[in-house]
Amino acid sequence: MEFNDIFLQAMRYIGAGLAVIGVAGAGAGIGIVVGGAVQAMARNPDFTPTIQTNMILGIAFAEAVAIYALAVALIILFV
Amino acid sequence: MTTHDHAEDKPRRIGFKRWIFLGLMILGALMAWNVGGFWGGIWRPVPPAVILPAEPAWPGLYLLPGVPLTNTMLSTLIATLLLFAVALFAVQPHVRSGQEVPSNFFYHVMEVGVEFFWNTAQSVAGKWARPIFAFSMSIFLVVLMVNLFKLVPIHETVGYVKKGHGNIQGYATVPVFGGALHLLDGSNPFPKDQREEHSAEASHAEGEDASHSESEAAHGEESEYWNSTEPCPDCEIVPTFRGAATDLNFTASLAIVTMLMVQVFGVMALGPGYFVKFFNVTTMIKKPIFGLIDFLVGILELISEIAKVLSFSLRLFGVIFAGTLLLSIVSTLSFGGAQPTAFFVPGLLLGLELFVGIIQAYVFSTLALTFMSQATVSHHGDDHAEAH
Repeated sequence: MEFNDIFLQAMRYIGAGLAVIGVAGAGAGIGIVVGGAVQAMARNPDFTPTIQTNMILGIAFAEAVAIYALAVALIILFV
Repeated sequence: MTTHDHAEDKPRRIGFKRWIFLGLMILGALMAWNVGGFWGGIWRPVPPAVILPAEPAWPGLYLLPGVPLTNTMLSTLIATLLLFAVALFAVQPHVRSGQEVPSNFFYHVMEVGVEFFWNTAQSVAGKWARPIFAFSMSIFLVVLMVNLFKLVPIHETVGYVKKGHGNIQGYATVPVFGGALHLLDGSNPFPKDQREEHSAEASHAEGEDASHSESEAAHGEESEYWNSTEPCPDCEIVPTFRGAATDLNFTASLAIVTMLMVQVFGVMALGPGYFVKFFNVTTMIKKPIFGLIDFLVGILELISEIAKVLSFSLRLFGVIFAGTLLLSIVSTLSFGGAQPTAFFVPGLLLGLELFVGIIQAYVFSTLALTFMSQATVSHHGDDHAEAH
């Protein structure tokens, strides 16, 4: 029916928008990781390569959670 | 005047590759911005048909009855064959020749990667570094290769024409080059309410990325779904190649195999007593009250193993699939008929995809390395006086 299809599509849009709110946690998490890494690099500049490697690792984990939220939003929107 | 400046000897040459890039950029701009109705505007990017599961690489291509050779399988096959080719023809001859200085680009790259990874493995794993390194380096190479292979221009755009169905927006096809190829015409969407579900299905829009250095266009070959040179009013294009990590089967199988290998390494290192980590019954006898908490912690470890499988597979799948989707949707954002971002944004996003693909390969393999080396370490160091 016409109204049901329009309603479903509208709810899809709303759901996708709400699902992306979860990326706020990822932003905060990445900020904490990089803040800690920058402080550590300031304390001990000779150790910078190891700190950078572990910082990239931590950023990838924190960003993966944001990607989970994005994947849920895309699944709501398109599947 | 003690040194002779050799740069004065060579005549200055104008670089040749820059003109190729400039030509491709202009071609991409003409296609994307439809300047002067370039070729009737049919080369513009078209919003993609987002389909989560993988589809057959060519209609009727079945390995077993009911098991098609999907486009992700084909892409994985070719990527691993390329990896074998690099190993056999670029790395092994140099290793066997015994030269001191590497003369080979691929050997340099492999040496950097292997040495970096081997140092990490030795510092994390200790005694079990060799088998754990072998396994996690293999995972790293496979995931890196499929993530890099996904960026080659033919992926996700060239395929076969299929009639639209379900919820997917269809577009009219336009035959070019005398009917040998079909393009999807973005300005002719097929209204979904006129679609008859059994005879002519709705057309699917296929994402065409007209980026400045790779002119990708959705070329649909004729297929048994739409098997004529006539234009199809309501069709989509199913790609023949699709990045392997966009298929949840690929990432989930890698994750399951990795977690199984974690258990295998635990049993290899600690014997059958490895499973005491999960079913910690002895602490209930030694410490009656807190032993129950230890037992529940053991059960939680078991649940955490399953959560690790989910986390591994969904992380890699989510990153790569969302990146692909982002690329195809952003390049087709249209503001009232014009598509201003189709020209340069796909190039930038492809750079991001390159970086993210390498990072995700590194994360997957480092995490696998960490879990495997944690499994070989005894957990009962704090409960007993000596190691188990």
